[in-house]
Amino acid sequence: MARTQPDLVLIVARSFATKLATPTLIIDARGDLIYFNAAAGDVLGRSYLDVGSLPASRWQELFQPRTIDEQPLAPEETPGGIALRERRPVHGSFAFSGLDGHEREITVTAFPLFSRPDEVVGVMSIFWELPAAP
Amino acid sequence: MIVRIWGARGSLSAPGPATVGYGGNTSCVELELADGTTVILDAGSGIRELGQRLLEREPGLVYICLTHLHLDHVEGLGFFAPLWRAGWKLQFWGPPSPTATLRQRISRYLSPPLFPIGLSEAPAEAVFEDVPREPWRVGSAVIEAQMVEHRGPTLGYRIEEEGRVFAYVPDHEPYLTAALDDRPEWISGWALAANADLLFHDSQYTDEEYQSGRFGWGHSSATHAAAFARAAGVRQLAMFHHDPMRSDRELEVLYDQVAEGVGNDQEPPLIAREGLQIALS
Repeated sequence: MARTQPDLVLIVARSFATKLATPTLIIDARGDLIYFNAAAGDVLGRSYLDVGSLPASRWQELFQPRTIDEQPLAPEETPGGIALRERRPVHGSFAFSGLDGHEREITVTAFPLFSRPDEVVGVMSIFWELPAAP
Repeated sequence: MIVRIWGARGSLSAPGPATVGYGGNTSCVELELADGTTVILDAGSGIRELGQRLLEREPGLVYICLTHLHLDHVEGLGFFAPLWRAGWKLQFWGPPSPTATLRQRISRYLSPPLFPIGLSEAPAEAVFEDVPREPWRVGSAVIEAQMVEHRGPTLGYRIEEEGRVFAYVPDHEPYLTAALDDRPEWISGWALAANADLLFHDSQYTDEEYQSGRFGWGHSSATHAAAFARAAGVRQLAMFHHDPMRSDRELEVLYDQVAEGVGNDQEPPLIAREGLQIALS
């Protein structure tokens, strides 16, 4: 096995997420999905153990994120993507296709994870499912 | 590379008859590299005697790698003789901080009212820098530093020379980041220790102590140290950062628990002891 591992900030973020009952997802500095917790798995429609880590292009393909009014949303346009690109916290809502076949809308708070003042190693996104429209 | 232990105690110096066997000085390890370069890991009270030994030779350049700035890792600096002699050049590396330089942080200790003389009065040429982000060459070795799980910014070090690897992670609670049988890349410090020939690792607590109120304090139980060493494929673990309350006899009882926890492909562990010298070649 190659002797490489994520930055300690990502390791600690993952550890924190495993203990949270709030849906939480982590992407790395490339925008690749590296972890989501059990609560997030309930919303996304499948567990992390089943899905594993995913490149940004692959998770876009799987979840098909889109705006609330159904316009396609690139990964870099999601709150997590903006937080990574612009290095600032972002709050917003979008829709996606769950891996269990259900369409869902979520509201997300995403914030960049700085390991040093000039180095972002990833983004943590905490999200809540919006109630289905009546 | 020769590894010499000048202090292996954690948290607080613990002199006295109950600790005379393994020593009461806090963390300080000297590395003598193949080309004669001296690298010092941490500046606990053990660095006082090392400093006296260094004065026996001509003044020169010494490298000092600090894991973090808790007092038991810097308390010896004020009594490190080369710092108070002109002609010595001391290159310090330590953990980065977003709010203050390493010199500023060290100066909080080496200044009144905590210490009578300010760091700016030291005659030696002392250079303080955050550790490089990538591995860097020092003498005939390559040093790598990474942040590890402990209270406050804390580094572990990996020193590689002529194909032999020494890993130094004296203050570390990897169990806080992942189960120690989890995927290893999610265990704090794993990449530093991976396949090391020798690992000095935090073994401060018994299981009972760890489980009764010390979880999250930044240190490991001795059995967690053994599990970490096994996960990293370390050839030999040395128990380090002994609790100041631990007598020599109690350390040896703890050793028996650790020895049971190492893998079949590992060498029997060691108890780090002041004066112990290990040649890695």
